[in-house]
Amino acid sequence: MKKIIKFFLFSLMVFFATEAIICSQAKYHSHGEINSILGRLNNAYPGLTTIETIGTTDSGKDINVLTIGTGETGAKPGIAIIGGIDGRYIAGREIALGFAERLLENSGDNEINELINHVSFYVIPDASPDASSGFFSDPKQERLVNANPTDNDRDFKTDEDPYEDLNGDGFISMMRVKEPTGDYITDPEEERLMRKADPAKGETGSWCLYSEGIDNDKDGNFNEDGQGGVNFNNNFSFEYEEFGQNAGINAVSEKESRAVADFLYDHFNIFAVFSFGPQDNLGQAFKPARTTQAQPQVPSQAQPQTGRQQFSRGPRKVTNIFPEDSDHNTLLSEKYLEYTGYSGSPGFTREPGNFMEWAYYHYGRYSYSTPGWWIQTEKGLSSEASFLKYAAENIDEEVFTEWQEVEHPDFPGKTVEVGGMKPFAMYNPPENKLEEVVESNYQFLIDAAQLHPEPELLDLETEKLDKDLFRVTVKLRNKGILATTSQMGDQVKWMRKLKVELKSGSDFSLASGKKIIVADRLKGGESREFSWLIVGRGDFTISADAINCGMDEISFTLR
Amino acid sequence: MYKIKSLIIIIFSLLLALPLKAQEDERFFKAAGTPVNPKVQVSWNKYYTYSGIKDLCEKLAGAHPGLVKIESAGKSYEGRDMIVLIVTNHKSQDPNHKPGYYIDGNIHSNEIQGTEMALYAAWYLAEMYDENDFIRELLDDKVFYILPTINPDARENYMHEPNTSSSPRSGMAPRDDDRDGLVDEDGFDDINGDGVISTMRRKSPYGEYRSDPADPRQMIRVEPGQPGEYEMLGYEGIDNDGDGEVNEDRQGSYDPNRDWGYNWEPDYVQRGADKYPFSFPENRAVRNFATKHRNIAGAQTYHNSGGMILRGPSIEGGGSEVYSREDEQVMNAIGQMGETIIPGYRFLTIWKDMYTVYGGEVDWWYGFMGTFVYSNELWTSRLMFQDDSRDNYKFDKLLLFEDAFIPWKEYDHPVYGKVEIGGFDKNFGRNHPGFLLEADAHRNTAFCFYHAYHTPKLEVRDIKVKDLQGSLKQVTATVANLRIMPTHSGQNLRYKIDPPDYIYLDGGEVVAGMIVLDEDNNVCKEQVKNPQRIEVENIPGNSTVKVRWIVKGGNRFTVRVESVKGGHTSGTN
Repeated sequence: MKKIIKFFLFSLMVFFATEAIICSQAKYHSHGEINSILGRLNNAYPGLTTIETIGTTDSGKDINVLTIGTGETGAKPGIAIIGGIDGRYIAGREIALGFAERLLENSGDNEINELINHVSFYVIPDASPDASSGFFSDPKQERLVNANPTDNDRDFKTDEDPYEDLNGDGFISMMRVKEPTGDYITDPEEERLMRKADPAKGETGSWCLYSEGIDNDKDGNFNEDGQGGVNFNNNFSFEYEEFGQNAGINAVSEKESRAVADFLYDHFNIFAVFSFGPQDNLGQAFKPARTTQAQPQVPSQAQPQTGRQQFSRGPRKVTNIFPEDSDHNTLLSEKYLEYTGYSGSPGFTREPGNFMEWAYYHYGRYSYSTPGWWIQTEKGLSSEASFLKYAAENIDEEVFTEWQEVEHPDFPGKTVEVGGMKPFAMYNPPENKLEEVVESNYQFLIDAAQLHPEPELLDLETEKLDKDLFRVTVKLRNKGILATTSQMGDQVKWMRKLKVELKSGSDFSLASGKKIIVADRLKGGESREFSWLIVGRGDFTISADAINCGMDEISFTLR
Repeated sequence: MYKIKSLIIIIFSLLLALPLKAQEDERFFKAAGTPVNPKVQVSWNKYYTYSGIKDLCEKLAGAHPGLVKIESAGKSYEGRDMIVLIVTNHKSQDPNHKPGYYIDGNIHSNEIQGTEMALYAAWYLAEMYDENDFIRELLDDKVFYILPTINPDARENYMHEPNTSSSPRSGMAPRDDDRDGLVDEDGFDDINGDGVISTMRRKSPYGEYRSDPADPRQMIRVEPGQPGEYEMLGYEGIDNDGDGEVNEDRQGSYDPNRDWGYNWEPDYVQRGADKYPFSFPENRAVRNFATKHRNIAGAQTYHNSGGMILRGPSIEGGGSEVYSREDEQVMNAIGQMGETIIPGYRFLTIWKDMYTVYGGEVDWWYGFMGTFVYSNELWTSRLMFQDDSRDNYKFDKLLLFEDAFIPWKEYDHPVYGKVEIGGFDKNFGRNHPGFLLEADAHRNTAFCFYHAYHTPKLEVRDIKVKDLQGSLKQVTATVANLRIMPTHSGQNLRYKIDPPDYIYLDGGEVVAGMIVLDEDNNVCKEQVKNPQRIEVENIPGNSTVKVRWIVKGGNRFTVRVESVKGGHTSGTN
């Protein structure tokens, strides 16, 4: 008996210990920590998760995807949740990871259980781990690029001019040099900040501003070709910039971007992508262009196409959101502000080759993105000044390094000072606020996931017209809020169409109608009628499915 | 006795095995411009399968070890080697230090003759090296990288499986063309089992077609109000997947020439594009090969058809691709010479004169590599009667004796009932008939050679040494580019694709170095950093640059030039 009690107690201890490991502390986790948490989650919820390594970076870090769902996950509408698309926005990694943890912790709740049975979640917390490693490196530095050695400044040398921590404070910050030829001044509104002198206001500059470091290759530029690499968030094909800074040798050239793009393309069931980085359309929704944009037409597949006819000049590029997609975006944005309590918008960062616009314009899915946390800029203040003001009242840690004089080998006899905003401070919440940020983003994502499209067959009617002749009519309705395919996705080859199929074990022929109908998209709440004239008798099934919204089936007997 | 006999046999066999010296064969008399008795005998009036290509390439490399080397640039989707022939005088200089010329063919798998044209160039270079001074100089100065087919899988499919003259065009990776979740589930069906997909017609009093009385093989539309004889039912096929569409999801059906990482756009903008640039292993292999051979200064990528010498840009405005004024002059000078070399072919700009192409190979070569590139659309119906009559039926009848036509014959179609199947064979219409293949291969090759000849040729000339005060000397050298093409295209300069040309002075201790802008008026631009290696951003075609050093000591000076696309050279006073 004692033994049994002992065993019971031991089991209980193990149980709690496991729980304690799973509920990770709200803090910024290194890539290794993220992967071990994913591994532990995968062990703790065996029926609900699978883990997959989709790529390994040049520095040997595994990019992992945690799939959360039940049954055949690939046949249910899917949502991808992706953090770490920009090395500076490390909070997005915690939001993605925290989402997975919370979803699984709550998987016993009815509502969440129901959701997991209907929707599959693909969580990639750290898409570009070499870039986000800058937060954990010594010195800490905002790093945008992967570890693929490149010649960033096109001087035919690679990685020859990195940063240096001149003041030895463990951070790479800014460096200012007193120079009569400089074009920066200290901001009169906030003396700690530097800004460009405005000649129109009668200002003349007295400082030069650089990032912290030495001109290692003596080319007159500072830190212009550091370790690595290519920026994940500039390496996608929408408005990709050839020969752009950190853009790579062509779009989707890198191990990270290719791994993520291939994973997404292979999962036709994904209907929405949520990513966390500098691009935002949740603080402020995308609006359609004021002038109507040419609607691209996909050439008909019906004709046998040959040579020039098949590959003739394509329609115009799409660079503005479609109206219906914009309405959905607005709905999601309203929800986001409600859940998070944020106000204003972090603003949209224009970047060539960014991930979130690619996910909409080229991948064709509903694509939503946000930094996940931001401070509203006050009227009349710069974003940095607004942030310093906010930090003074709300953030305990020091967010600014006071300017401090250093000796600099490239500027003998000149005043050189190192200081400025601490890296990462402006883009990410302080650790003590992280819990709250992760929680509100989780709540939002759960709500957004409920909007998924879902086909439903209803109003089945069978009429006997003659001995062996029947007319069968059925309605197909999308009972979700989002369309079965975004308007954008309708243009894209990598988005499946709705398929309605009539099947039977008995012999039959069709006087009218097709056995397989490849149907156009249905908006949220929209329905469409299909009918057949069937010659024959027996048991029949009509199925309707699109991999990105699931399937429905209806059976009937004709006699 | 027995021993002697076998010895004789052995000696005799050895003699046979020795390559016969070309001029010594009494059976032949040399025709101008072709090798009289090549070591590798090739007939240029047929097409080669992948194993035929491989065999030919291996024979060339075996027969000309100092001139032809065979490599693989990688594997195709189905695992075939992407064969590369590196043709140059491998002994004269490191091939990487010579200006390179690249030729590929067959990116569109049904456009097969680019392969034979590329092979012809390799064969001609190797076989003529000993017979012709121009070719010898070409192979001493330049290196040719020849990829006979960059779509080997689908070339095999085109030849061995039922196809039209326009299919597959794609590579062999399966794709879902009709977005129904199934891949390649409704391709052509070879109803008559002859290995060709031709057209189906059905007798019908309501049809809109009838036989042409002038040539009953040809179908013509009836005049309105006139009775018809046949209805046309398209290419041989069945609705395999029961969705009411015929042949709507064939093998592959992407376009490998919309897959290149420059000015790339997705499928809804540019039909045929795939997921992202370089989705396919064949093109990735070419990209990786090219980026390791940055000396490739000129390139040709063969297509068919229409008789065109095409140049970029392929989209209006060129995107981020910019042909400078100087590049325009170079492109036009060489391209226009092409119209003379290949009569009947027209020199055209892709987006303006043909159609827009996003993500095409031509834009990648110029845009990403800074290489001067043309794409010849091989075969034009003008080659049939040397006029614009374009009468395929007449040509087939009078010159091919109806070898290119599959006569109409009745078959049972599972859905359409009694149909007649016939029409031109897949090898006619886009690809050369045999007897015209060698002539056109030679002309297109001659154009490539002209283009390759005009990649830069650098020469150090006129090293002048002048004594200055004390032990100082002034060394001035001229570096000339003797050909039309510059060492750096405008695109190359704009995006710093290649390093500048480096001009080194060896001998003596260099105190200062400079580029001489105007020797008469002594206008110079000093290079403060590393003056022993003067950096010149470009050496334009048919022009010279002058460089000068101030040196301490030394009498004998060597001026070395290193240019990525202009080659390496040196000169000594």
